[in-house]
Amino acid sequence: MSVLDSARNLRVEDIGLWKIGKRLGFYGSVLAMVAISMFPVFWILLSSLKPPSELFVFPQEFLPYTITMQDGELAVVQQFPLTLENYRVALQERPVGRYLVNSAIVASGTAIIDVILGAMAGYALSRLRFQYKLQVLLIILFAALLPFVSRLIPLYRLAIDLQGTVFGPFFGLNQYLGLILPYAAFQMPFAVWIFQAYFNELPDSLEEAGLMDGLSRVGVLFRIILPVSMPAMATTAIIVFIYAWNEFLFALTFMTNDSRRTITVGIALFGGQFNSPWGTITAAVFMSILPLMVFMLVFQKKIVEGMTAGVGKA
Amino acid sequence: MAGSPTDERVRFGEEDLRGRLRRYRNLRITEEELAVALLTPVLLFLLAVSFYPIVDTVWASLHSGYVIQTPTQPFEFVGIANYEKLFTDASFWNALGVSLFYTFVSVPIELVFGLGLALLLKSEFKWKYLAQAAILFPWALPTVINAKIWAWLLNPEYGVISDILVRVGILSSPYPFLSIPDVALYSMTGITIWKTTSFMALILLAGLSSIPDHLYESARMDGASRWRRFRDITLPLLKPTILVALIFRTLPAFQAFGLPYGLTGGGPGEATTTLVLYTQQAAYNNPGPTNGGFALGSAAATVITMIALAIALVYVATLYDPEVR
Repeated sequence: MSVLDSARNLRVEDIGLWKIGKRLGFYGSVLAMVAISMFPVFWILLSSLKPPSELFVFPQEFLPYTITMQDGELAVVQQFPLTLENYRVALQERPVGRYLVNSAIVASGTAIIDVILGAMAGYALSRLRFQYKLQVLLIILFAALLPFVSRLIPLYRLAIDLQGTVFGPFFGLNQYLGLILPYAAFQMPFAVWIFQAYFNELPDSLEEAGLMDGLSRVGVLFRIILPVSMPAMATTAIIVFIYAWNEFLFALTFMTNDSRRTITVGIALFGGQFNSPWGTITAAVFMSILPLMVFMLVFQKKIVEGMTAGVGKA
Repeated sequence: MAGSPTDERVRFGEEDLRGRLRRYRNLRITEEELAVALLTPVLLFLLAVSFYPIVDTVWASLHSGYVIQTPTQPFEFVGIANYEKLFTDASFWNALGVSLFYTFVSVPIELVFGLGLALLLKSEFKWKYLAQAAILFPWALPTVINAKIWAWLLNPEYGVISDILVRVGILSSPYPFLSIPDVALYSMTGITIWKTTSFMALILLAGLSSIPDHLYESARMDGASRWRRFRDITLPLLKPTILVALIFRTLPAFQAFGLPYGLTGGGPGEATTTLVLYTQQAAYNNPGPTNGGFALGSAAATVITMIALAIALVYVATLYDPEVR
């Protein structure tokens, strides 16, 4: 082999190596980001499965099983026993199940209101001609800038005042609507924005075809626009649901009765800072984030698409 | 507003009642009428649950005796007395400082990291959707539950972060991150960066994917380097998205509540007491015999509203560029 040939070979190999290195770097950074993002979740899951004797030790054990070489043979060695005891305590001795149900009710109610009202307003703002359109849009968007805490005290006083009146069961303390309505109002500008951005992308011919076929404006709305707006509805519902599931300030203030508390409040009030039942807390935390993880896995495409439709056109 | 009652009466004046009824029965309504019908519920809803409470908070901040079910208390106009009390409270200024530090340290770092993450997630690769779901997951995490998670990870005796730092040799024994005032604030800021970088990435990813590919193609043909393509195409076209991302992140960061509540309870001392935590504590923890807490809390909430609007205004004024798109 001549010197020239080997030099050429070397160069080809170098380019190959460079490409491999780039790929490795890329996948390495993706993997690192995944690890950084998911490590706390892994740690919570692991902690929740540990018996108390393993939870309160330092240093901590990272894996329940390790593989070691024993007499020249690979052997799986158990480091500590895994237990579901923490989950039993969380569900039986603490009303974590109830908290989860409450959160689901509040989050679903909020999502339903925002999808219905947001779709209505978004449709009008995007596809109907009328006066003062921009002003109406700006008023709705302006509401998004108003801090949540600044609505807390008046709404709380209202809820107290309505206790015992006929409105009490709707908007009193410890009523689901007491959370659903403020949440829905807070996320409304976002919902309206997503819908109007989505409707902006639809071709004008859609309504025209319906009107030509003799449908009324309302008929067009229900027969044509409603079916095609499903993707925007899904996106709005998912994001609003996650928001309502996660909210804490209002949930803490409005739900004073333990049986009405949402999961965020339930977990936050689990114990003091120093003498906390971390086994039960981590079990409850894991149960509270499991639905969100499934959500992210199933709906992430919708979330990214929705953001693209809404924000990309900002 | 469009189609106010007077407008309608004038327009409908020519039609007889019967025709009007029939028109409604067949729902042959005009575009404007439909718009009014669709928008009224939303506007009424926002008026009742968003705008009215804000105004009522300002109103309450100017009065004493904003009380709950104790009609014997006089409800008196006191002018700016509540604000004077607020502005002479050292805890308020401390909370303002904490919130400003927390907000204006975390948001720029999140923006830079988020942009990097978004560029990473823009390309197609194997297992992308699994990786993307994992990377974006912290965004979906409830703040107060996130706070509990990190309180455990940073536990002064059994925290895994200490554990890792001991294993790699940086520490020799567990470190009480959340018990030292400054370190607690830095930790809290770091935790929020960990969580909300994914949100920044989500928004910026949306902006990136709306930049047409042919721009990059032609720039590459002209021999533009990777950095120049980023600087001259990506950044300018991403500006509106960055504006949205900054507003979407700065305002919630300035209103942080769940994280300090669940992580440290605002401590040690008041080292991590944010403005909203201060407001909530002023209003609810120690309302006192005359419920003075609600008046003070309302004043603090009004200040928060003002600052939030000012921040939004500054962002829009500096970054809004009608030329782009």
